[in-house]
Amino acid sequence: MKALMSVAALIGAVGILLLAGMIVDIIPSNTVRLVEGYMPMQVLFELTLFVAGFTGLSYMLGSMGMAVPRFWQGILFWSFILLYLKYRVYPPIPFSVRAMYGTVSLIAVFMWVSANEEDWKKFKQPIMNILDAQTGANKLLRYAYLVLLPILIGGFSYNAMVPKSEEPIELRTVHPAPPASTKVHGKTYTLQTSQNPYRVNLEGKFDQEYSNANIVEQGMGRLMKPNANPWDKDAQGYLKYVREGGEIFFQNCHFCHGDNLNGRGLHAFAFNPIPANFTDPGTIAQLQETFIFWRVSKGGIGLPNEGFPWASVMPPWEQHLTVDEIWKVILFEYWHTGYYPRTWD
Amino acid sequence: MKNSFSLKAGALLATAFGIILVSGSTGGVAFAADALPEGFKKAELSPEPAADMIEAGKRVYFTKCVWCHGVDGAGDGPGADRLWPRPRNFNQGTFKIRRTASGELPLFDAKKPIPGQNDLFETVTHGLPGSAMPSWEGILTEEQRLQVLSFVTTQLVKDRKFTDKASESQTVLQLDELKPIAVSEESLKKGAELIVEKKCVECHGAEGRGDGNAFNLKDDWGFSIQPANWHKCWNFRGSRQDPYNVKNIFRTFSTGVNGTPMPSFADNSTVEERWHIANFVNSLCEREADGKPLSIDPLADKPKINFVVSSGVVEGEIPADPEHELWKNRARRYVAMGGQITHKPRNFVNRIDDIWVKSLYNDKHVVFMFQWDDRTKSVAEGKLPWAPTSVNVDVKEQDPKTGEEGSIASHQNNYTVYNDAIAMQTAVKWKELPAPIKPRYLFGSNEQFPVDIVKWEADGSLRAFEGTGWDKDFTQRDTYEENIKILHSEWKNGRWTVIIQRPLGNKKDQDYDEDTFFEMGQYIPTVFFAWDGHNGDAGRKMAVSAFYYTFLEPPTPREAYIYPVVIAFGVVLLEGWVLTRRSNKRKGKTL
Repeated sequence: MKALMSVAALIGAVGILLLAGMIVDIIPSNTVRLVEGYMPMQVLFELTLFVAGFTGLSYMLGSMGMAVPRFWQGILFWSFILLYLKYRVYPPIPFSVRAMYGTVSLIAVFMWVSANEEDWKKFKQPIMNILDAQTGANKLLRYAYLVLLPILIGGFSYNAMVPKSEEPIELRTVHPAPPASTKVHGKTYTLQTSQNPYRVNLEGKFDQEYSNANIVEQGMGRLMKPNANPWDKDAQGYLKYVREGGEIFFQNCHFCHGDNLNGRGLHAFAFNPIPANFTDPGTIAQLQETFIFWRVSKGGIGLPNEGFPWASVMPPWEQHLTVDEIWKVILFEYWHTGYYPRTWD
Repeated sequence: MKNSFSLKAGALLATAFGIILVSGSTGGVAFAADALPEGFKKAELSPEPAADMIEAGKRVYFTKCVWCHGVDGAGDGPGADRLWPRPRNFNQGTFKIRRTASGELPLFDAKKPIPGQNDLFETVTHGLPGSAMPSWEGILTEEQRLQVLSFVTTQLVKDRKFTDKASESQTVLQLDELKPIAVSEESLKKGAELIVEKKCVECHGAEGRGDGNAFNLKDDWGFSIQPANWHKCWNFRGSRQDPYNVKNIFRTFSTGVNGTPMPSFADNSTVEERWHIANFVNSLCEREADGKPLSIDPLADKPKINFVVSSGVVEGEIPADPEHELWKNRARRYVAMGGQITHKPRNFVNRIDDIWVKSLYNDKHVVFMFQWDDRTKSVAEGKLPWAPTSVNVDVKEQDPKTGEEGSIASHQNNYTVYNDAIAMQTAVKWKELPAPIKPRYLFGSNEQFPVDIVKWEADGSLRAFEGTGWDKDFTQRDTYEENIKILHSEWKNGRWTVIIQRPLGNKKDQDYDEDTFFEMGQYIPTVFFAWDGHNGDAGRKMAVSAFYYTFLEPPTPREAYIYPVVIAFGVVLLEGWVLTRRSNKRKGKTL
């Protein structure tokens, strides 16, 4: 037990030092890097390590006779969570979301310190000691708190009232409701009934099963199926159109949506919000193919009123591409991300 | 399944024998160490990657890479023609970012994904900042990255062979062992002298903005290429996640950039000299006012962006001299620029990728100072064939096919020269649009929500327009033009500095329906546009920023001093109440 705990304590101590060093820039901030593709798992793993580390640390300190009171343990752990969310997680989480996480973890800490009557008493003890001020040191502390608290709270409220230039928060509808039909290049397409004319099998028939069987595999890398290479000279039907769609994508779309369709193209860094990430399960994976057809054809300008504030520079691609080219690009996007388009039923 | 497994095992065995053979036969070869350039060491060639790695790599290549690098790896995929710099042509085995000596193949070993020992692996992992090559870290696994490189180095590099000992050698820069010389005034002074002595300035320009001999340089394939701008270190190839590291500059300078006019200086400079140069070049990279590196967004690998351009208040006249103390002390804002690729003529290859903006205001005017790097001062010769208000101008956008007339490759550096220009677009009736809502991005929504565009061009003109839609011609606003003024405009060593003064506007004297009203303490949606005349930029072929906000800093209101005191007093009362309660409770009394 002791050996296990001392390993955990070591992890905790090293982790804290590393993190603190990286935040105050003593240790190069890229020593332990969060990589975009792995980030959620990395963060969960790190937090698990830290919790294990803290358990070890408190056990070891306890067995060395330097036990940290439950009161301070709770406060320290809570402030660790707040600081971690603020300084470690990137891109920065907005304050409102951090406040939510902070509240949840505060409740969790309270539940932990008040698990039973005895723990709760231990937790309250330092506060009561200060209030009662039985010893000289506590008396001193009580006066210090009496003076410091008003100053601190006054300072916070001053800080909140001084004019600051922070970006107004932008809320927008990510997937506004589509119209019933859309007119592109003079032809009207009913969204509910239209189909991608290039989602076809070798016989040239619309075949969702066939195309779904030939998309890239899910999992790291999202690679094509070994026997479904769109660049095969003999590729016919669906795969041939995927290649043609890819050609159009890499002449028009990748500048923003990126070589890996993850919204990190060449120009993406200049825009706000950054372009849509198609590899995210929240974008094309949960939309119908005809919805994409409408969005691609009409662009940011074609967004309905509830699409305010129109924070989209997506052009109406009907200006640049034919209807066939738009369908092929959509075919390629689903192929490359390995998602099936959602159907209407 | 069983089949592929036995194939794998067979290939592994074959490579194992290969390694033994190779290591056995090179044992006796001795090298003349003194012939090597300083800081380099001879190394062995790496063994050939296993056959199953190559086969697996093909799958990665044809899913991810073929779109730009082409079926045969000749850098001619469908995406290639609208990219600049172009995707790498693998066939000749010419690679830019290496630790190996000039002309040699880069380090690559399919079994060693170790930073510092595997140039190609690092290139794929981190991408090449400043080009379209993205970082594949987090997208492809390490294994997949090694696989695709196994395929590229054996199948697509056609003119050379990574394992051919007769023709290839590896002389490796010992970058990890060489200790950088600490930055000091003396080192920087030496570096500044050396870049003149080594003729760096001839191409990179007197202040290192890549504005030297920028228009006659070609790479090995005849495509035009431009010298690096030392002020944007985050665009240096090989700089991802750590752009202010001198080692990256040291490596480029020591090994050269194969396939480009950038030579290796390993033979004619000592290691010490190279560190001085690296220190100096690094010192030119843009920094905060206090000398600290800019903070870099780890996801975009560019400086972090703040979308609020705040304007500071000034008593009296706003100076026209950019060297004036008021301007020097004013914080500047980094504004990222992308190509305008939404409406024709599209600008796939934008040469201006950022501008710096500062702003000051007094009781009458708001003044903006724009600074941006542009390798050339471009002023149109003769009269432009369209009116200043024309929006749908007839400028050719890049044509798709290389080799055909009008393609990027044949046009680069060969455009009709138009004016360099900068413009800011602000919403006119922004007050009727609650805070997050903005007019349509490009040139306004419609007659009801127009935008106000103030545009300066390098021929000295400063014009004001009203825009009512992306395809509607502007209306020129002569009455407003009388009120705007160009305080300063200068192009020097690859950088424009332009200062534009415009009225604050107020409801009484100015017509609010036509002008943007710059109201203190409010967020005014603002977009910046920039044109590089030597890139054929005109009309909608331009660089654009996202929506920013102009914010005139208000003075601190009196409430900010009063309320905190009241609140603090309240806290004191609260404390008193808690303490009394506690002591009463202890004494057994109840309230």
